[in-house]
Amino acid sequence: MNRKWLIRRILSSLGVLAAVLVLNFVLFRIMPGDAISTIIDPSFSPEAKALLRELYGLDKPMLEQFFIYMKQMLTFNFGLSFLSRRPVWQELLSRLPSTLILMSVSMVLSSILGIWLGIKAALNRGKFVETLVLRLGAVATSFPGFFVQLVLLMLLARTFAIFPLRGSLSVPPPTGTFAIILDYAWHMTLPVLSLTLMGFGGWALYVRNLMVRVLGEDYVLMARARGLTEKRIVYGHAFRTILPPILTILLMSVPGLVSGAVITESVFSLYGVGTFLLEAVSGHDYPSAGAAFYLLALITIISNFFADIVYGLVDPRVRIEGRNR
Amino acid sequence: MISLLKRKSIIAFIAICFIGAFLPMLLDGHPADTVGAPFARPIFWNSNLPALVEMDISTKETSFEWRKNPPAIFSLSGTVKANPTSEVKIVWHTPNKDFVLATLIGQSLYWINMDGRDMIFKQALNLPLIGKSVEALFPSKGKYSITIDGAENCELKLYLPGQRQGLLGTDQRGRDVFRMLIYGIRTSLIVGISATIIACILGLGFGLIAGYTGGLTDALIMRTVDILLSIPTLPILMVLAGIWGKGLWQLVLILSIFSWMGTARSVRSLVLTVRESPWVEGLKALGAKKSYILRRHLVPETAPILLANIALGVPGVILSEAALAFLGLSDPRLISWGRMLHEAHAFGAFTEGAWWLLLPPGIGIVILCLIFMDTGRYLEELIDPRLGSGKNV
Repeated sequence: MNRKWLIRRILSSLGVLAAVLVLNFVLFRIMPGDAISTIIDPSFSPEAKALLRELYGLDKPMLEQFFIYMKQMLTFNFGLSFLSRRPVWQELLSRLPSTLILMSVSMVLSSILGIWLGIKAALNRGKFVETLVLRLGAVATSFPGFFVQLVLLMLLARTFAIFPLRGSLSVPPPTGTFAIILDYAWHMTLPVLSLTLMGFGGWALYVRNLMVRVLGEDYVLMARARGLTEKRIVYGHAFRTILPPILTILLMSVPGLVSGAVITESVFSLYGVGTFLLEAVSGHDYPSAGAAFYLLALITIISNFFADIVYGLVDPRVRIEGRNR
Repeated sequence: MISLLKRKSIIAFIAICFIGAFLPMLLDGHPADTVGAPFARPIFWNSNLPALVEMDISTKETSFEWRKNPPAIFSLSGTVKANPTSEVKIVWHTPNKDFVLATLIGQSLYWINMDGRDMIFKQALNLPLIGKSVEALFPSKGKYSITIDGAENCELKLYLPGQRQGLLGTDQRGRDVFRMLIYGIRTSLIVGISATIIACILGLGFGLIAGYTGGLTDALIMRTVDILLSIPTLPILMVLAGIWGKGLWQLVLILSIFSWMGTARSVRSLVLTVRESPWVEGLKALGAKKSYILRRHLVPETAPILLANIALGVPGVILSEAALAFLGLSDPRLISWGRMLHEAHAFGAFTEGAWWLLLPPGIGIVILCLIFMDTGRYLEELIDPRLGSGKNV
């Protein structure tokens, strides 16, 4: 792989990270009042107020605050939560796996389903299958995600009580590791299913368009002339050609996926980073809100970076010039 | 202009604007008013459930037939005038049993305010304290009457909200869902259109500057666009809504700050192509100033793109607004579709199985978004006829 290109990607990711950090710092300093005004009681003595300000480092000059903040963010030392008075990082760490599982599983499922349907549609041009996939894709992408999830929740958890109404685990949780895993999977099925349903449409439409174009190329005709099997033509030749653009879409879908995960967690009351962010924001718990936002942005940046790297590995045409928009 | 009306979505767009603007004026009362029992079903739902019954009681005896299930709430309010020395007895006759609702003596004017859900009311009537008192007060179908003995004059109102109310039922506070739905159109349209227009103006400005100036400014603006596009939108919107407050206009501002990037990109690419065209060079040769070329030639050139961008951008903004409101990050006093979904989710619509709280706002959002999408596509096709055959690429 091109080393210059790699350095460029790293620098660009660091740039986004720096922007997120600065944004996060600025946001929580330009609001009315200061960050601890929500936990200061009017009955506190001036000494207590000063002590609290010192504890959260608000008595120092802005520039120093900024450096302290940067250090905190880069070492994942986010301080104490206003609401639970526990270290924010502990809370976040216990919630992170759930969010990552939700995002990755639904991403993998929706891309596989979408790609499969897209290829099917492209192979059956003008037939019923194609119309069906196109219609389904258009419907799936144009519905607001949380509405679809609410309807699914109402149907499958209330009317037909197949799935649980809320939570990541039953209350009280079952005993035994296997039973807990099973219970967790049962609670995660509907969220993952709904995120998959919402995500596959875009994939199907996109892959179908790419595939239709590629199947008209000369080398596919050549492959046909060589008498290769249809499977080999489709997956060995045509699909390999459209793999890089698919990875680009993967890269571009991550921010949307993070947003989707946040709202999915709220709909299904899952124990995750999204619900943590929501609780923090609505409870004016600024250290937690800032940390949760930073973590979600970090997930995006890291996955974007990896998607870029994979893109570089798959697409031999990657050059420095080629990456310029 | 008339040819625009050929597309159905344009007609639908105009219709929905009219509905959003004028229908609230025709509906009497404010959407926040309580009109009936909580979680009352839509009126057409099940005719065995009772609808709202209101009765003025001014005579000594008022009787009526009850042929349905018990109502949701039993309430009696008003005034009774009587001679202070005589005893006034208000009695509720059911087919099975009579209840003495009140025995009044010693005053010339009594204010009556009874509600079947009150503990004191249940205690006075020896009803079970837990559970619904209406089931005891309406034990079976048949003839019911209310008698007031010993009163000179009474102006009472028997108010029996049923389990069916309004076109689309009521929510957890007994508010009319249909009325809220109509008011919600207004919020969605205001937020959607104004945020998109602000975003488009921002995008136009940045896109023009980036495209026409080039160099460092261009790089800076485009990097900012890239960064903003790679930050997950919903978390940052949540943080901003939490910090800056939840009012309507704050929401509009927050949403517009994070939706100008697409417009900036397309304006920039257009400016880049137009900048090199011979007629711009000709203008330069004629000694036209930069600002003149920008204002008189480049801005009009981008107008069609902008128009389509506004129409295509509105659904995204409406969805973001609905998502924020659904998460509870909007003004609680402001009725919007997202807020309705939030309240349905947070206040027990799921345990009640109250689908009528869920489907109307959600379907409203979908329809509004589809209208704007189709309008936007139509405008795009008008600008660039090649897109017209886009259905079969």
